[in-house]
Amino acid sequence: MVVDDHPMWRDGVARDLAAAGYEVVATTGEGRQAVRIAGAARPDVVVLDLQLPDISGVEVITGLLEALPSVRVLMLSASGEQQSVLDAVKAGASGYLLKSAGQAEFLDAVGRTAAGDTVFTPGLAGLVLGEFRRLAVEPAGDDGMTPKLTERETEVLRLVAKGLSYRQIAERLVLSHRTVQNHVQNTLGKLQLHNRVELTRYAIEKGLD
Amino acid sequence: MAETSGLQTPLWRAIAVYRIAALVYVAILVVRNVGAYERPVLAWPVLAVTAGWTVFTTYAYADPARRRPPLLVADLLVTMAVMASSAYIVGAEALKDGKPTLAVAWHVAPVIAWAVAGGRRWGIAAAVAMGATDLVVRNHYDQAAYTGTVLMLLAALAVGYLVGIAEVSQKRLERAIQMEAATRERERLARDIHDSVLQVLALVKRRGAGLDGEAGELARLAGEQEAALRTLVTGRSAEPVDANAEVDLMTLLDPYASATVSVAAPAGAVRLPARTATEIAAAVAAALDNVSRHCDPGTKVWVLVEDEPGSVTVSVRDDGCGIDPERLSQAEGQGRLGVAQSIRGRIADLDGTVTITSAPGEGTEVELSVPRPG
Repeated sequence: MVVDDHPMWRDGVARDLAAAGYEVVATTGEGRQAVRIAGAARPDVVVLDLQLPDISGVEVITGLLEALPSVRVLMLSASGEQQSVLDAVKAGASGYLLKSAGQAEFLDAVGRTAAGDTVFTPGLAGLVLGEFRRLAVEPAGDDGMTPKLTERETEVLRLVAKGLSYRQIAERLVLSHRTVQNHVQNTLGKLQLHNRVELTRYAIEKGLD
Repeated sequence: MAETSGLQTPLWRAIAVYRIAALVYVAILVVRNVGAYERPVLAWPVLAVTAGWTVFTTYAYADPARRRPPLLVADLLVTMAVMASSAYIVGAEALKDGKPTLAVAWHVAPVIAWAVAGGRRWGIAAAVAMGATDLVVRNHYDQAAYTGTVLMLLAALAVGYLVGIAEVSQKRLERAIQMEAATRERERLARDIHDSVLQVLALVKRRGAGLDGEAGELARLAGEQEAALRTLVTGRSAEPVDANAEVDLMTLLDPYASATVSVAAPAGAVRLPARTATEIAAAVAAALDNVSRHCDPGTKVWVLVEDEPGSVTVSVRDDGCGIDPERLSQAEGQGRLGVAQSIRGRIADLDGTVTITSAPGEGTEVELSVPRPG
């Protein structure tokens, strides 16, 4: 499923995906509609433009995951607004790519997202690293739930942020490609878990449970 | 003379109110003192002129276009004439006796008008002219006579100064409003550009990426413009750089992002003292410059900014040709100004450390680590 408010872009992406052998089950330009039709269209992967005219990227991702918990969301954005990208990843997106990425890179990212991998750009790795550091410095919650990266995870993320490919990282750290992939995925998992815990706590505090 | 500012209007209104109040005072004193005048009959037409001029100036000064030299000069002359007529009508005897002139305190109004219209200098000039006339007419020079003139001079000075301040603050306010409007316009443009131009450029780049020859070249150019434009519209707004103030390092580093340079950083601001931030940015610029000079065009560069509690680390890695470590130290040994010197020098000044790792064919990585002060 392709969600993008720019018709030319939406059609182009859908065409590329179809040409590469993917089945495009739905296209739409609106976040609310995307959430509404996701349950019926049952896509494996949603290619989502982060800036939609009606609702925020975080809201779309939350809505999609509620309607279809197994769906994997690959975010695209034309401009790398750091905070909204970070928020979307915390809300459960499994990958992020700039729209300026090449066609091959894009198709590869869709393939990896479908396979359950996370798609990181160096920029996103920098954001995630920064977020863990921010959480570490922030006065911790009373329950000691502040997520931390292991040394290895930090090492891997730093190399991703410096533009090394998973293969290069695996070579440098003498790890398997799969292990590198797992480390990256874990960092995101920790952040998303923390985000859910925070949201739940917030809801309980406000009496919304 | 300054253009009419919004803050001048109340001042002109105050002058009109003063003039009317002074006129009432003049009328009361004339009625009370008319018996002591040398030529009492003529006092009434002069009082009528005073009243007429008060009404006329109240209306005339209300129009900003007329607050100009012709009216100001006329105002001064009419008031001086009213005052001078006292010498003839009230008479030297009564004036010596301490009877007020026919202007009483009414003659201060044009002086203040001059101060409001032209600032301190004009106010002083009018006060001196009016004061001199007052002294000549009264023809006696005691403490009381001088005090009146000095008070008028001080009032002119104070009002002129006040007007100057009001004008400056008015200009500041206008500038602030303009800047805010410009910022809003920029944000609106950024949204529009984001919604249209960026998307189309990205699309052109994508669809043309696989093509050969001119089409491929066009796609590449579109990609470059897309990256430049993206940096422009999403750029974190720069703050005024003041050596003591803290700035967001990213306002200085984000602009380096391009089709070949990726800048990875935390989402929040990386706050550093302005001098530290500019030096780091200059070191990064030197490293990037080095890549573009020594490596093939199209060499990719990744900049990573890490904000730690005690220090800030910036790494600049490229996938270019790399440098032979021997050559690097050789160049340094020969005292050639190069990357090393320019980067190491700047960072050493900030008590930071620089690590350069490179091997031929494996690219180069420059890591700068600068401690946070205090």
